[in-house]
Amino acid sequence: MAALPAGDFAALQSLLKAPSKDVVRQLCQECFCSPPAGLGPLALRACPSLAVSTEEAEQLVSALHNLTRHVVYRGLTRAEDILTLFPEQFHQNLKNLLTKIILENISAWRNEAQASQISLPRLVDMDWRVDIKTSSDSISRMAVPTCLLQLQIQEDVALCGNSPVVSALTVELSKETLDTMLEGLGRIRDQLSAVANK
Amino acid sequence: MGLLNFTCDPVPEAVSSDMHNLNQLSAQQFSALTEVLFRFLTEPKEVERFLTQLSDFATMNKISLGPLKNIVKSILLVPNGALKRNLSSEQVRADFIALGLSEEKASYFAEQWKVNSPTLTRLAVGQTLMINQLVDMEWKFGVTAGSSELEKVGSIFLQLKLVIKKGSQMENVYVELTLPQFYSFLHEMERVKTSLESFS
Repeated sequence: MAALPAGDFAALQSLLKAPSKDVVRQLCQECFCSPPAGLGPLALRACPSLAVSTEEAEQLVSALHNLTRHVVYRGLTRAEDILTLFPEQFHQNLKNLLTKIILENISAWRNEAQASQISLPRLVDMDWRVDIKTSSDSISRMAVPTCLLQLQIQEDVALCGNSPVVSALTVELSKETLDTMLEGLGRIRDQLSAVANK
Repeated sequence: MGLLNFTCDPVPEAVSSDMHNLNQLSAQQFSALTEVLFRFLTEPKEVERFLTQLSDFATMNKISLGPLKNIVKSILLVPNGALKRNLSSEQVRADFIALGLSEEKASYFAEQWKVNSPTLTRLAVGQTLMINQLVDMEWKFGVTAGSSELEKVGSIFLQLKLVIKKGSQMENVYVELTLPQFYSFLHEMERVKTSLESFS
């Protein structure tokens, strides 16, 4: 099944003009990583090394982007599955090269896609400290332990682009609160093992 | 008046005469009044109820409410100071006697103080300043089935909603954790619990 527009494969033929396999490899990486909005500038940068016109570069870059993203989206992992994406008359060597490059990168690309998917703010790090409160305005002598928990939270990666915003939140927990929290976390753990054991 | 345990500041002049008036109450009346006072001290938010009970006491014992309120104000000076300074019941008794209350009544009040002090101490500790106190935690976990980049995913996510008291307002903080992070978080919290318990 041709999941990509026929025009894309025609555009990919421009890669035959590439000076080396490494250039192709590099370009595949960049096309996958780039968001659609970044493809224009990328095409301009690729022009000189490929000796193609701006228009051809744009079509090529867009085609590579679509191809790599499609493979990652469908979760294709076998060479045969990727090879069948190409139309019959497609240049054999180029087809094999592209398939090889994609297979080399596929798991890294999948991980990256998963890491950058939308989510609530993510926990990046956590630290804690136990203090003993010895005195306050309401009671001049006491020895009450309390926990300070600092959570480093990163805002949604997709919204921040290259400069993730990490904020630190410090929270105080009394012993009672901690016990209740642990109860809740314990229940989560139990449910998780029940799901895992099914 | 010698040195008092419950305060370093000079005591208002009216206190002496208030104590004198208190001495005029019968043992039964004093016991009833003490009960009203301690009920208020252990539940300081119930101001309305306290005032009603005082007013009832005044009516039942044919005392004017105004002077009664002044007496109560004077009495309360001692337990408030005693709480701040972790005084023993002996010290409370000694202070009341020093202020002019009869030995019998002072001993009775000190007894009640001893009985109620664990509750009162717990209240005072509870009132101690807490920074960004964690008030509540809600959670849900599920499976990410797919995304715009990945048709089939199948990864587990855990979402926590932390309700935090910032000053007088509540703030909700939403956080997502991966499974390994969750286990690590749980492990750390268990370490905290062990640490807190060793200091209790």
